Amino acid sequence: MKAYITGSGMYVPEPVITNEEIAGRLGLEAEWIFKSSGIRRRRWADEGTTTSSLAARALTLALEDAGLKPEDVDYLIFGTMTPDRFIPGSSPAVQKALSLREIPCLDIRAACCNALYALQVARALVSSGTAKHVAICLAEIQSAFLDLSPEAGALSMLFGDGASALIVSSEKTDGALSILDIHLATDGTYVDDLGLRCPGTEFGASLVQAGGDEQRANHNPRMNGQSVILQAGRKMVNACQTVLQRNDLQATDVRWMVPHQANANLLAQVARGLRFPTDQGGVVSVLEDYGNTSSASMGIALDTLRRSGRIQEGDRLLLPAFGAGFTWGTGLCVA
Amino acid sequence: MALPQGVTDYLNDNAANNGLQQPVSGDDLFKAGVLDSFALVDFIGVLETETGIKVPDSDVKPANFQTLEAIERYVESRKG
Repeated sequence: MKAYITGSGMYVPEPVITNEEIAGRLGLEAEWIFKSSGIRRRRWADEGTTTSSLAARALTLALEDAGLKPEDVDYLIFGTMTPDRFIPGSSPAVQKALSLREIPCLDIRAACCNALYALQVARALVSSGTAKHVAICLAEIQSAFLDLSPEAGALSMLFGDGASALIVSSEKTDGALSILDIHLATDGTYVDDLGLRCPGTEFGASLVQAGGDEQRANHNPRMNGQSVILQAGRKMVNACQTVLQRNDLQATDVRWMVPHQANANLLAQVARGLRFPTDQGGVVSVLEDYGNTSSASMGIALDTLRRSGRIQEGDRLLLPAFGAGFTWGTGLCVA
Repeated sequence: MALPQGVTDYLNDNAANNGLQQPVSGDDLFKAGVLDSFALVDFIGVLETETGIKVPDSDVKPANFQTLEAIERYVESRKG
């Protein structure tokens, strides 16, 4: 049985934060932020906004897009690094907010690859007949966890808040994307090069920042930028080549690349590495307006593309991603 | 062992595009601005194509490609 993306939606909080507004505080220049990332502005939610509330808004739009009602959903998957609570996950809050039936609700923690992991699981659930309609929520409120001091400026400038949602169904509908393949991989050698150490059993279960500078740093996001760039540039290209080869395709057979929105320079590098044609705007980027929304970013880009009406019947889409772990992969869909 | 022309051409072009002198023996390619993290990924693709070696992801680090001599040594080690 095949699986199709039959609906999509996105929602971002209202407050727009420009580079000019944060550059001084982060010890950076506004134009440097744009040149090194492709980001001009991002959304940062007001204090007290929950991640699940953004996700619920996005899922409502995705259900409308798919022509479904909340009671049609058989399974809910929620990908986020910034949940409402430490325990339980954020999916029960969405189940309640949308009055979904008493269905399985699964939170996943694959960082910027959450969209791909969720699609792989959803595809398996639909293909096996376990579910007819799987709802995927992908949302982050990263602004609540950022260190806005100059020491962390080059990291904190990247991130935005937002949500996306996808519906994966067993029956094709108008505008649906057939999920042809998903390849995922992980190398835990790089576990400390991107992420957030605490709270956890390895570096301390305390939920608050206490102790000396080193312990306080364990509560802040950390990124070895050089390692991320070097490994992401290689691994996303290799993942795309793997999927293209096993589907007997060339990069020129693909119309759209809808990547995780990490950094504009990285997206350009992946396109170069694949020799993906970029002259027709085939690399979808929403970085300039929303920044890196981590789990939500691929879904926001995909929803933006779908609603633009530019996807034609038969168009193929590649969906590469890379994130903390390191974990990486790509998806292949056809309209 | 001399590096293939395509490899040195890439480095020279990158230097020229950034308004820099062509790199010579002993230059630190990163300190000079000929390579950075993004350019290194592209450069390794060129190196693989031009020399026929395969660079494992675990070897993708600046130390292996810091100077022209380091690049030559690395290529030799992968061929050996």
